[in-house]
Amino acid sequence: GRQWQELPPGKRKKGERGSGFTSEQIEHLHRRFRQLSRDQLTIRKENFDSIPDLEFNPIRAKIVHAFFDKRNLRQESSGLADEINFEDFLTIMSYFRPIEMNMDEEQLDRFRKEKLKFLFHMYDSDHDGKITLQEYRNVVEELLSGNPHLEKESARSIADGAMMEAASICGPDQVYEGITFEDFLKMWQGIDIETKMHVRFLNMETIAHCY
Amino acid sequence: MGGGVGAGDPPSRCGPRLLLRLVPVLAVLAAAGAAEASAVAGSPAPDGTAMGAGTPPSPGGTASEETRLHVFTLDYPHVQIPFEITLWILLASLAKIGFHLYHKLPSIVPESCLLILVGLLLGGIIFGAEEKSPPVMSSDVFFLYLLPPIVLDAGYFMPTRLFFENFGTIFWYAVVGTLWNAIGIGISLYGICQISAFGLTDITLLQNLLFGSLISAVDPVAVLAVFENIHVNEQLYILVFGESLLNDAITVVLYNLFKSFCQMRTIKVIDVFAGIANFFIVGIGGVLIGILLGFVAAFTTRFTHKIRVIEPLFVFLYSYLSYITAEMFHLSGIMAITSCAMTMNKYVEENVSQKSYTTIKYFMKMLSSVSETLIFIFMGVSTVGKNHEWNWAFVSFTLLFCLIWRALGVFVLTQIINVFRTIPLTFKDQFIIAYGGLRGAICFSLVFLLPSTVFPRKKLFITAVIVVIFFTVFIQGITIRPLVEFLDVKRSNKKQPAVSEEIYNRFFDHVKTGIEDVCGHWGHNFWRDKFKKFDNKYLRRLLIRENQPKSSIVSLYKKLEIKHAIEMAESGMISKVPSSVSLSEYHEGKIKPLSPTEMENMREILTKNLYQIRHRTMSYNRHSLAADANEKQAKEILIRRRHSLRESLRKTNSLSRERPAAAANTKRFLSLPKNTKLPEKLRVRNKTSSRVGDSSDSEMDATTTVLNLRPRAGKILREQRLRQQRPPSELRMEWKNEVDGSQNGRGEQQEPGSLPQPSIGFRQPLLTRPRFGTLSREDLTADHGSARPTPPPRLVRQASQGERQRNKPENQPY
Repeated sequence: GRQWQELPPGKRKKGERGSGFTSEQIEHLHRRFRQLSRDQLTIRKENFDSIPDLEFNPIRAKIVHAFFDKRNLRQESSGLADEINFEDFLTIMSYFRPIEMNMDEEQLDRFRKEKLKFLFHMYDSDHDGKITLQEYRNVVEELLSGNPHLEKESARSIADGAMMEAASICGPDQVYEGITFEDFLKMWQGIDIETKMHVRFLNMETIAHCY
Repeated sequence: MGGGVGAGDPPSRCGPRLLLRLVPVLAVLAAAGAAEASAVAGSPAPDGTAMGAGTPPSPGGTASEETRLHVFTLDYPHVQIPFEITLWILLASLAKIGFHLYHKLPSIVPESCLLILVGLLLGGIIFGAEEKSPPVMSSDVFFLYLLPPIVLDAGYFMPTRLFFENFGTIFWYAVVGTLWNAIGIGISLYGICQISAFGLTDITLLQNLLFGSLISAVDPVAVLAVFENIHVNEQLYILVFGESLLNDAITVVLYNLFKSFCQMRTIKVIDVFAGIANFFIVGIGGVLIGILLGFVAAFTTRFTHKIRVIEPLFVFLYSYLSYITAEMFHLSGIMAITSCAMTMNKYVEENVSQKSYTTIKYFMKMLSSVSETLIFIFMGVSTVGKNHEWNWAFVSFTLLFCLIWRALGVFVLTQIINVFRTIPLTFKDQFIIAYGGLRGAICFSLVFLLPSTVFPRKKLFITAVIVVIFFTVFIQGITIRPLVEFLDVKRSNKKQPAVSEEIYNRFFDHVKTGIEDVCGHWGHNFWRDKFKKFDNKYLRRLLIRENQPKSSIVSLYKKLEIKHAIEMAESGMISKVPSSVSLSEYHEGKIKPLSPTEMENMREILTKNLYQIRHRTMSYNRHSLAADANEKQAKEILIRRRHSLRESLRKTNSLSRERPAAAANTKRFLSLPKNTKLPEKLRVRNKTSSRVGDSSDSEMDATTTVLNLRPRAGKILREQRLRQQRPPSELRMEWKNEVDGSQNGRGEQQEPGSLPQPSIGFRQPLLTRPRFGTLSREDLTADHGSARPTPPPRLVRQASQGERQRNKPENQPY
């Protein structure tokens, strides 16, 4: 059944305001949302299994997790949501909006921080506001998990090496206590994330199939 | 195409004297025979006679009256043309080698600059020796033999998907931008020509327009060579790449149009319309011929599986055929060969064998690289001479207008196209696109092609073109790299440490890909989907051999299988030289940032072993081959699926490492592709060899090959805490001892200080190996690291024991 329900106009307006997407983009994301949720109002974790392309992504779990991370959805609470609705879905997607030409410095800075916060939450899997060495190692291990003949040992050494670098920026204590978001910001100073962290949201009829 | 480069006769105009000058340059060829040959040849064919264009060599130049049998004869004129061509190519290639001997040189100065310099030097020598202008590369040679390989290469390795995604913008820049530049430069130069003080009043508007059209041909070679080393965003990359390719074609069309206008006595309105129509017909006709022959080529390769040897040839023959056919009808050969290459590429790759595939790739790169080198050298050579006319006003205004119109054009066109783009081009991008408008060989050849009867000021044009080319290639070409770097790192005042940067970037890429997948925007583009369906339904069936697997990915896997195996073996061979830096650092026991070598190694591991995501850009390099993104991803999946193969390789590898590298090398390559049974045997042999007590070689290996950063990192972290408590102990332990320790008593109770040597470096990032060394190390660090914060020793020990259990049945000889 490829009969998409139209998004109610009121909702569309709201989403447009909140996320900065155009109404065409929202419409298409909504179609995708319904496709993933199989015409339900909410998406659950299992729904992400139907995306074939995601299968080979080594940090698949983390990505899916991020969709249900309440920190990403509503700033106040933490923990994991069981299901997300379309607005939440849009909220997550809005982290990946491309930079706009007419943004001023302050907006840019906020934009950048939001994006980094999202990434930070992906690293900080126990929601304690710090990236510990163990968490860092987990990330690297996951990243390297694509290659089965690379030992965990190597992953760990790389993580440790990276952690040491972090220590060289933020001071040695961070290595033991974990990297806070402030440190994280410092570490990302050199990478212009606002131009890198975005996805092309299209206005055209381009939804891919999923099974 | 096979003999494309060789079939030309540029050097035939050089005459024997040139050869005399060449010989000392080519130290390799400084054989007495060659010198003698030219000396002998010099007498019968003195300077002037052999200089004419395309003059066939006078055979039997030695007019001997006697008919006695000679013991030793020299017949240089007989071989003159091929001999000199060979020498030129050899010289060009040697020059290329020379530049890459000093590794920093190519990164500072673009290769094209250096090649031109060599050409200038040669031209100067020839000019000095003969007191007349050195030979000029004939434009026929350029357009019929030297240009096609370069365009073919660019078309064949074009990242198709990215190209079509940005097709609108590319087309916009190439067509409208070129028209803009040509007309803008032409008209403003005409304005300058009206000022009688400059003495240029005899140059007509049409001639100016013609000149404008030829000077607006952008030559991307230098820019691309720079761009691929620096990570510019993929949009920018494909824009510059695509624009340059289409731009060349459009310039040539425009040039021919204006040239025929110039030769006409009167021009009517109908001629203008005919010209516009001609413009489209030339372009579209070229594309159609290319596509047609591309399909024919694909269809041909469907049947070549019985004669694999000539398989690669078809790619070259058909594409060259498309080029010359298009030229025959006065259509755009560049368009034809590009579209032919792009069309056939996909199907041919599925039909041909792995070896043919490699051959095609290498041969193409080789041809294009040689042509390019020759072009630049000849450009240098042809510059020297008497065919110049200097006019300050014309030359400097030409340069000025080139820069201004290019910048203006890019800026204005981008404002318009940005409305339609999802990701608008920033000012930075625009600047780089404008600045990347280097002029090159196409302008050069076109200006030499001008008939001097119609263009009395041809020499002036030549001079102006040369100045523009030299200015753009040298000044812009050298500065674009620092500029791109400067613009790229503008925000950052602190350099991000290498390893974490790599991790972040990778992480990032994966997140992005994941989100894209969730959005479902991957399979976007309506027409692409349509084409894919059509392709699967009809084209594929027609063009691809029937017993091939249906899915292109599967067939790609099949091809990659062997390739990957070889690669793994290769990467296994590379052993890193232990870095003394890290060693000494280690001795001091201080916290220092990781040494560059270690960084490099870490980064290498990361790049080699991380899951390769779908890169939208695949890097294009005129001079070397890069695995394309598809391939990389397929390889990645292949890695997962081919565990057994890897397993066997590992055995092969560890076995062969017991021998001298050279022997192992040949052995492995011979044994690899064929038998999958071999590993079994090898495993047995491996066991035996270690059982026999082949000392500790294989185990030693294990120690050396483990990536031992972690212990070091661990140690330093620890030391940081314990610096006062425990002074760094002497570490003069030989690694063999360590191995012995691991062999005898599983190496637990070593001295606290005797941590594994970091100097050993990490070899073989791709291959697992027996874990003895790791064990000892694990235990070591676990046992004495009481004050270590993480991880708890017990856990580590357990983990390592678990690993030991796992490894034991497999390859524990004792």
